[in-house]
Amino acid sequence: MKALFRWIEDRSGCSAVLRGCLESPVPGGARWSRVWPCAILFSFCVQAVTGFFLWTFYSPSAQTAWESVYFVQHEVVGGWLLRAVHHYSAQVLLVLIGVYLIQLIVTWRYRAPRELVFWVAVLMGLFTLGLMLTGDLLAWDQNSYAATQVRVSFLTLIPGIGGGLFKLAAGGPAFGHLTLTRFLALHIGLFSAIFAVLLVLHGLLLRRTDAAEAAAGGKAAPFWPQQALRNAVANLAVLVVVLLLALQHGMSGDHAGVALGAPADPDPSSFYAAARPEWAFLGLYEFSNLFPGELKIVPIFLVPGLLVCVVFLMPFIGRSPAGHWFNVGFTAVILIGIVALSFRSLAHDRANKEHQAALAEGHQQAERVRQLARAPSGIPATGALTLLRNDPKTQGPILFKTHCASCHDYLDAEGQGIAAEESSAPNLHAYGSRQWLSGLLDPKRITSPQYFGNTKFRKGDMAAFVRDSLNDLDDEEKTDLQKAIAALSAEARLRSQQEVDAKQSSQIAEGRDMLDDFFGCTGCHRFHDKGQLGSAPDLTGYASGEWLMGIIGNPAHKRFYGDENDRMPAYAEFPDEPAKNQLTEQQLGLLVDWLRGEWYDE
Amino acid sequence: METPSPTPPQDNSAGPAAAEQRRGFLAQAISLVLGTVTLLVPAVVGIVSFLNPLRQHGQAGRFMRLTSLDVLPEDGTPRKFPVIADRTDAWNRFPNEPIGAVFLRRVKPDKVEALQVVCPHAGCSIQYEATDDGGKFFCPCHSASFDLSGKRLDETSPSPRDLDTLDVKVESDGEVLVKFQSFETGTAKKVVKA
Ligand code: FES
Repeated sequence: MKALFRWIEDRSGCSAVLRGCLESPVPGGARWSRVWPCAILFSFCVQAVTGFFLWTFYSPSAQTAWESVYFVQHEVVGGWLLRAVHHYSAQVLLVLIGVYLIQLIVTWRYRAPRELVFWVAVLMGLFTLGLMLTGDLLAWDQNSYAATQVRVSFLTLIPGIGGGLFKLAAGGPAFGHLTLTRFLALHIGLFSAIFAVLLVLHGLLLRRTDAAEAAAGGKAAPFWPQQALRNAVANLAVLVVVLLLALQHGMSGDHAGVALGAPADPDPSSFYAAARPEWAFLGLYEFSNLFPGELKIVPIFLVPGLLVCVVFLMPFIGRSPAGHWFNVGFTAVILIGIVALSFRSLAHDRANKEHQAALAEGHQQAERVRQLARAPSGIPATGALTLLRNDPKTQGPILFKTHCASCHDYLDAEGQGIAAEESSAPNLHAYGSRQWLSGLLDPKRITSPQYFGNTKFRKGDMAAFVRDSLNDLDDEEKTDLQKAIAALSAEARLRSQQEVDAKQSSQIAEGRDMLDDFFGCTGCHRFHDKGQLGSAPDLTGYASGEWLMGIIGNPAHKRFYGDENDRMPAYAEFPDEPAKNQLTEQQLGLLVDWLRGEWYDE
Repeated sequence: METPSPTPPQDNSAGPAAAEQRRGFLAQAISLVLGTVTLLVPAVVGIVSFLNPLRQHGQAGRFMRLTSLDVLPEDGTPRKFPVIADRTDAWNRFPNEPIGAVFLRRVKPDKVEALQVVCPHAGCSIQYEATDDGGKFFCPCHSASFDLSGKRLDETSPSPRDLDTLDVKVESDGEVLVKFQSFETGTAKKVVKA
């Protein structure tokens, strides 16, 4: 064994180097205040190790980035912890560098001959920010996508070359595959490598300046073991903090570790409205909001650029005690400013109802996409975004709001749901259900705003029929009406009524006959082989998927309202020329499925 | 770092020493040039490809049919229409994807105005809000508001410019065509994304 060590030592001289390091003198003796550089080194190592393992899972493309992160987060054993440790140790790294810089400034340890030590530390801080910005995007979820897009778009503020810079950063005219490949290469290739080089450089410079200081006299002690012990304890503390942060949302379940939002949507009209930068940039963000839009370049580039310049010049400014006090004061002002602005931003957002609503919507979509990804069909090759785009539960309300809610409400009994801009057509919540039909066939309610109250049918034959013929029913007639309603509602084949439909099959059969001969509906409506089309909507397959697609597609078709149609627009009037229709077949299907409550549930 | 180079002797006298110094200088110059060239070639090759995105251009604006006139409310209430087109992302082409949206508003019986939904501030999607005095547009991200023609309403708006208008053509058969374009966000001038 000894021989082996000898052999290696003869050829490499490494134990001499090691001994040199361990014995290198720490001026002033071992101190707790000297632990920062080592803690920074430690956090970076945690970054490198966890980053490597995350990399073994990561797939950088617009259809696979989020998906692979989802896989790590929710499928890989301990994957959530891996992500969380990587994420939080990055935040801790930034804090450590910040504290270290402040310490250097306050203790005047940036002046000659320590200028390089200081500058390298500042550069490490800047590259940590760069690592955070590039790493943030890689999850490709709503917030990271939107926030990064906003940041990269700032480049276009730079006169002349801004547009080109944007393309270089994004890898093309818009965000996509190449943005991810570039950011990944910058993150794990370039920035990490530069950071590692800076770290080594910093160590060497520090050793040199420390040795010089120790040689100049005063108390000094070797690094090993007293300072090493302190460093080890500090690193343990760092690790504990990182783990506490990583475990703050529990050790299992969907919310353990770092949240992963819904997948990014490249459609600009679905831009994530609650996007906010990471905490380290909140101060700058709020600062930029103090400026009117035309002057954005000032808070985004000029002021931060100037601040960084001042920090770099500190070794020169701080040659005299007065200059040193300027530096300390300057640092204090900047720090207080950043903290105050960050809190202001948080307070703003907390009080901002739109922001909170957008945030809640984001959480809902994240939750929903998790459900869909866990469905037996899983995530398709086209990416998880397709899951949301093809999900009636997600798209239905959006389509309803844009196309239907100018007139129709969609409100449940408690008044929850989607309120119309100007309610002037029936409330479509639970459309076609027994309960909806009971209201329609109630003499007191048919002319209420919930049904025909704000339409021209208020004065129509149907309202008159309900008012005249369904008034003052005796108990037996009431039961008959229930049967007729059940029969009509069964036509819809609603998922929510599957059980009742099966249980009431005999009543439904009776009700069908009553619709024809007892209540005389077929006098105006067609119902299966009875009655005629043309005077009122066909009741065959009433409120079924196919029926709803038809009536929304073209309510003025003779199968529905014909010439009697009130103001309902035709959303798919031209089955043969899809380009002319307002809603595509797919959108129509989503809307109808949503109205009928047909979507995947866990 | 550079390879350690022998320091040339600091001797100014003529003769063999001077000749040696000259040769030493030549060796230094040549090794520097060679080193730089050999390193530069791969770097340049890489950088040229890295700059490729500069030659990539976004979707050129072209007139697209969005809707027909009778769909737009006559009282001038704006309606939002998604724009569906093919989208290219590097090596992929996605047919018929939503690539944006437009607010259309009837200003005269046969005249339509179109606004991009993308907020010029930072790219959020603006929303229409009905108000007592006829409605306005509102950005949920940093609360910029605009009147129906797209003018900024706030005293100091986060948005550097008014909403971006788009060219509209109304055909004789009532079809509404819009020249769909995207613009840089954050700039005071309206610059088409190239
Ligand atoms: S993006 Fe619209 S106000 Fe900021």
